[in-house]
Amino acid sequence: MSVAVPKKNLADWHSPSTRPEVIHELIHGVDRYNPTNLPFMEEYLLSQIKEGTYDLFANLAILKLYQFNPQHSNPDIIVHILIKSLSSTVHGPDFNLCLGLLREPTAILHDIESDDEALTILMPKLTQLHDLIRTCQFTKFWKELDDNSEAYNLLKTRYLPQHASPIDDIRYQFSLSISSCFSSISLNQLSKWLNLSSSQINQYVTENLGWEVQGDNVKVPKNGDNDVKAGVVKENVQLSQLTKLIAAAAY
Amino acid sequence: MADPTAFYEPEEDELLSSLSVPVQSYNPDSNEDEYRRLQELEQHAYAQQQLMVAEQEQEQLQALEQVPEDVKRFLVLFHQAILENDLPTITTMYESGWNKLTQAHYSQTEWPEAELISPLVGNDQVFLTLYRELYFRHVYAKLQPTIDDRFQSYENICELFNYLLNSEGPVPLDLPIQWVWDMLDEFVYQFSSFASWRANPKNKNEEELEALSEAQHIWSCYSVLNVLYSLVQKSQINEQLKAEKQGNKTPEELQELAGEYGSKPLYRNLGYFSLICLLRVHVLLGDPTLALQTMEHVDLSGGAFLTRITACHVTTYYHVGCAYMALGRWPDAIKTFISVLIFFIRMKQYHTRSYQYGSITKQCERMYALLAICTTLSPGPSDESIMSIVKEHYADQLAVLQRGGDEALETFKDLFLSASPKYLNVNPPPYEDPTALESYLSNPPIDATQRHLDLFLSDVKAIKSVSNIRNLLKLYTSIDASKLVTFSQGENDNNEEEILQQLMVLKSASRTYAKPQHSETEREISLLDGERIVTNNLDFTIDGSMVHVEETTSHRRFAGFFIRNAEHAQRVFNTIKSSPLPIQRKPTSTTAPTTGGQDKNEPKKAGGAWQPKRARVAAQ
Repeated sequence: MSVAVPKKNLADWHSPSTRPEVIHELIHGVDRYNPTNLPFMEEYLLSQIKEGTYDLFANLAILKLYQFNPQHSNPDIIVHILIKSLSSTVHGPDFNLCLGLLREPTAILHDIESDDEALTILMPKLTQLHDLIRTCQFTKFWKELDDNSEAYNLLKTRYLPQHASPIDDIRYQFSLSISSCFSSISLNQLSKWLNLSSSQINQYVTENLGWEVQGDNVKVPKNGDNDVKAGVVKENVQLSQLTKLIAAAAY
Repeated sequence: MADPTAFYEPEEDELLSSLSVPVQSYNPDSNEDEYRRLQELEQHAYAQQQLMVAEQEQEQLQALEQVPEDVKRFLVLFHQAILENDLPTITTMYESGWNKLTQAHYSQTEWPEAELISPLVGNDQVFLTLYRELYFRHVYAKLQPTIDDRFQSYENICELFNYLLNSEGPVPLDLPIQWVWDMLDEFVYQFSSFASWRANPKNKNEEELEALSEAQHIWSCYSVLNVLYSLVQKSQINEQLKAEKQGNKTPEELQELAGEYGSKPLYRNLGYFSLICLLRVHVLLGDPTLALQTMEHVDLSGGAFLTRITACHVTTYYHVGCAYMALGRWPDAIKTFISVLIFFIRMKQYHTRSYQYGSITKQCERMYALLAICTTLSPGPSDESIMSIVKEHYADQLAVLQRGGDEALETFKDLFLSASPKYLNVNPPPYEDPTALESYLSNPPIDATQRHLDLFLSDVKAIKSVSNIRNLLKLYTSIDASKLVTFSQGENDNNEEEILQQLMVLKSASRTYAKPQHSETEREISLLDGERIVTNNLDFTIDGSMVHVEETTSHRRFAGFFIRNAEHAQRVFNTIKSSPLPIQRKPTSTTAPTTGGQDKNEPKKAGGAWQPKRARVAAQ
């Protein structure tokens, strides 16, 4: 396992390497509005879930189809998409982008004449969890996730088991946030934030994150974010800025 | 040129003056040659028209009599110019003739119905469709459109697009780019206007309710997207733009790639502007990623095609900026807004007369408000001249925003509501089902704008602790987290863990992804691309519980200043060099003194982007 660092660019966010060519074609063309592609797109989502990959843009395309064809909405798929975006980033806009394409759960259920309450229960819950994640209230997040409520039971029995490694994904995202801040951190604090017992934390830190345990502390390798130095920004003149001047000088 | 009738002066037109006798004034300023040419056209067209008129019913003829003479003359010539694809004439008539006549005769009422004027133009259906497009645009702009206007306008524009897309082969029509843009712009505007009107079932009378229940397809999102995507596909615009960017194709190859339709300027322009309209529609429907993806191949740099039309330029940048805001990419949003606002300020002087000037100014006003939001959420150095305008307009709000707290949230809300696009619901209320409509009315769902406002406010709330803790950190080079707990006021139950969590939020708030300026690989950069950047000069590391603060200072930037001024000096020098030598008053002096008088002409002669619009259109 390589050392965990935040992604340097967004290439993998808007076109993940795991995306098949046929999906790429589909979401870049007019065919993304064709509701007959829904089963195919939903299948792709299920394969993301099973294999632990993530393709936000394909998922948004599914929500878009639901937006235009409310009668085809599938609440289970919606919940899966939300869980996916929740567990894939701490500070990214992903979750809100999904919400931007959704209406209130009651309206969605009304259009498909379903009385399955799962969506109505889970949307507020997931939104609340998202708020905790993006404000880095990790300890509280674990508490709220595991609060033994109806929503929790639904998640635990009906949705999370289908995902490859949702809890580890979330843990990994949290580690990224922590690593960009800390050059070293106490084991105690880390185990609270990652919701791991003191017996598990040592192993997780060294094996999954590639960090180093030194007594009661964990040393986080330098990654550009946690080893800042005061610098002076100097002006950087590109040759292209000077083209006009050089051209004028040539006369 | 202020005289509204000046455009059509029928000095020697005997045929027409025998019909009725409005007094027309001759405008001595007008160009002799063009005048003669117009007259030839006029007479030619008029001969045709005479035949047609004779066949019409008496009643309609009488109604037609009511139409002012200069309007009739205008329509005949307009028709003729369009038949001949005479772009310069069409442009002048479209940009000034129509507006002048509107001012003179139709500032409070509709233009004559298309059926009424059809004898004037030989019952040319294509022209009448184009005419109706202008007719309805005028209704929307100056009057209150009725539900019939809304429906008919939709049907008319569909007919027009149908003609363009489904004729056998490309149609033999050419329109100025300004018109093509205005047409598509209006199409999206009427769509959004209808969608927000339809979204509210209150205050609708029986008749309107019934019409809405029967006409689900009218101005539906699907049909609007369908038109725009069809134009994009027909013109092969994406393929064209992609190939042009790569720049390794010969003109012949490009032509072939563009295909039968796309190689015609009309279709190419339609396709190009459709991409921008798609950007808008996607933003309005709450899909910023798709909006930016649509613009994948469109060049947004200074000299891009879209900058030829100010309204298009401003709209594009406004919506791209809004999309970046929804992605939380504040620096990209700021950069986008600032770049177009700088352009607009420079452009202003040439534009005060355009009838769109008002709406462009409004859109720019909105961008200043959005800049106030973005720069508060992601403080950092940005263009000082623009920021000083923001500070001037929104001084009070900015002060509140920076103070933070609930009051700030309220201000964020107000600014966002006044400046954000008017988001639309994809699905209309259930007009077709009266019982469902009743329950809809008694329990109306949250409307689109409110939903996007909530999402935006959740972004704001997520980083609300940031400015406070940043200000605290500024005072130290290193401080223990437990000490920060005692210093940070506000919530009483601050403990060390919470402070550490807030620091993590601060860290992430000062990191974002921004569109790279230069590509490191061969791949082209799309609007969605981004590289991780640091947005704030205050940074820190936490070692255990010790916070080490580091501040990055930036040198003053001299090079840009010198480059700009050197280039300016060069332009001035070139202008002086190319202007004629001054007439020497004193024949005795040997060296011609450079008088200040020549410099005054300089801004007018400077070519390039700041040329007045009409001159540029003619130069194409």
